[in-house]
Amino acid sequence: MNIVVGFKIVPDDQMIKVVGDKLVTDAPPKISTYDKNAIEEAIRLKEKFGGKVTGITVGSNDRKSIREALAMGVDEVIAVISNKIDVYATAMAIVENIKPLNPDVVLFSEMSTDSGTSALPAYVAEALGLPYVSNVKSLKIEGNKVIADRGMVSYVETIETTLPVVLSVGGEINTPRIPSVKQIMESSKKPVKEVKFDIQPKVIVKEVKPLLVNRKKIVIEENDIEKAVDKLLEYLKSDGVL
Amino acid sequence: MKIVVYSESPVFLRMGAAVAQSFGGELIGISTSQDAKFFNKLYLIENTDEEGIVDLVVSLTPDVFITGNVRKDRAIAGRVAGRLKLPIITDVLSIKLDGNKAMINRSAYSGMGIAVIETELPLVMTVASTQLQPKQIEPSIEKVKLKEGRIKVIGRKSTSSGANISTADIVVGVGRGIQNKENIKYAEELATALGGVVGGSRPVAAELGWVPEDRQIGLSGLRIRPKLYIALGISGQPQHIAGIRDSKIIVAVNTDKNAPILENADYLIVADAVAFCKAMLKKLGK
Repeated sequence: MNIVVGFKIVPDDQMIKVVGDKLVTDAPPKISTYDKNAIEEAIRLKEKFGGKVTGITVGSNDRKSIREALAMGVDEVIAVISNKIDVYATAMAIVENIKPLNPDVVLFSEMSTDSGTSALPAYVAEALGLPYVSNVKSLKIEGNKVIADRGMVSYVETIETTLPVVLSVGGEINTPRIPSVKQIMESSKKPVKEVKFDIQPKVIVKEVKPLLVNRKKIVIEENDIEKAVDKLLEYLKSDGVL
Repeated sequence: MKIVVYSESPVFLRMGAAVAQSFGGELIGISTSQDAKFFNKLYLIENTDEEGIVDLVVSLTPDVFITGNVRKDRAIAGRVAGRLKLPIITDVLSIKLDGNKAMINRSAYSGMGIAVIETELPLVMTVASTQLQPKQIEPSIEKVKLKEGRIKVIGRKSTSSGANISTADIVVGVGRGIQNKENIKYAEELATALGGVVGGSRPVAAELGWVPEDRQIGLSGLRIRPKLYIALGISGQPQHIAGIRDSKIIVAVNTDKNAPILENADYLIVADAVAFCKAMLKKLGK
């Protein structure tokens, strides 16, 4: 099976801080949270059906993050260097690089932690002319047939389609593996293909401002929980919410 | 200017219609309900084949396609934009048009930031929220049978648990820190005593199934706006915070007084979640 998985290298969302009137986003890079679920699912498909997993990332080409994907079990990574990217430019960069591979399955996660548009997998599916199934929480492939459960929050939808297909997965689909020291060592031997791709994006981000919600941040710490609750109830009454 | 609006959710369809009306122009709605009376023209669809909806929207060649923020909407938005090679902007908080230029504020970084965006028409957008209300317009109605696409729906199971946490005044949120499924009953009792409902973080709702799946609070689940939100054993991942930002007052209960949720809480009670529930129930005389 010919498997492609897209992953995004983003600033660590737990380290993004509001400082004064600025949102400081130059946090250490990491693979976006649910993208690891996409990588895990890609590797599981390979373990079941054989074949190859090609990873593709656009934008940041942080070595450590790419190594992590390889250590998890991705065979090769295409790192597309591009400065100005929106959904359109990212999709075009991906399509140009994966179309020649004729993938059976293209996996993404359902949402990145930085821009979080959920739009990229759908955009890529259309550009490749393939069916798209979003928010997959469980996946079964038998021969050419794909059966998936989509978690839509207020309902779960079971669908059937055929390969080739583009999928986006959520955090429920699996638990991403943690590579062993040996796998991390060996990942340095795996190929990383760096390519340049430049196209005029359609969406320009002028600035990112912090969304400030001023909270009181009052810590109530008492040895006696009942005392703590008394204090809290008083506060909540004066706030007019109880 | 031709504006097409679709959403699987009636709430988002209203929001989308309100934004569309603020632009003015030819307003076209797509809905399964003939009560969607906010448009000049309404395509009343008998089935909801995702590919069929995409085809219909594309065939109308809109200057602006507006949809909501539920998962089905986002999938359709991405596909329409991809097929027409249009700019796509999701989670729109506000938009100003000037000729064919659009200035947009959207939520980014899991709701921690507002990105100020410039782009041009034609475009695809999904609405995060709006204060605008749509006016009633009597539309001309055309019934449409959508073509069946390459994806067959072979089953559908509602996860609805009878409580609507999106509109609840008081929500008690449960995270992994509650320890186990048995302890959820204390959260339930507290919520009942306060006249509220229980929701949960994504791991608890979607992965562990300790609370019903339609009650997951967060970036990719539901965004709530209660006057009081009590977070039991929730550490405060950015994805969860994204769902609770609009709460008036946030109380966090955590054994760790340095838990990241403090940054986004009005009160942090340093305590075990179950002990807190029991003490609250006693004080509330329940």
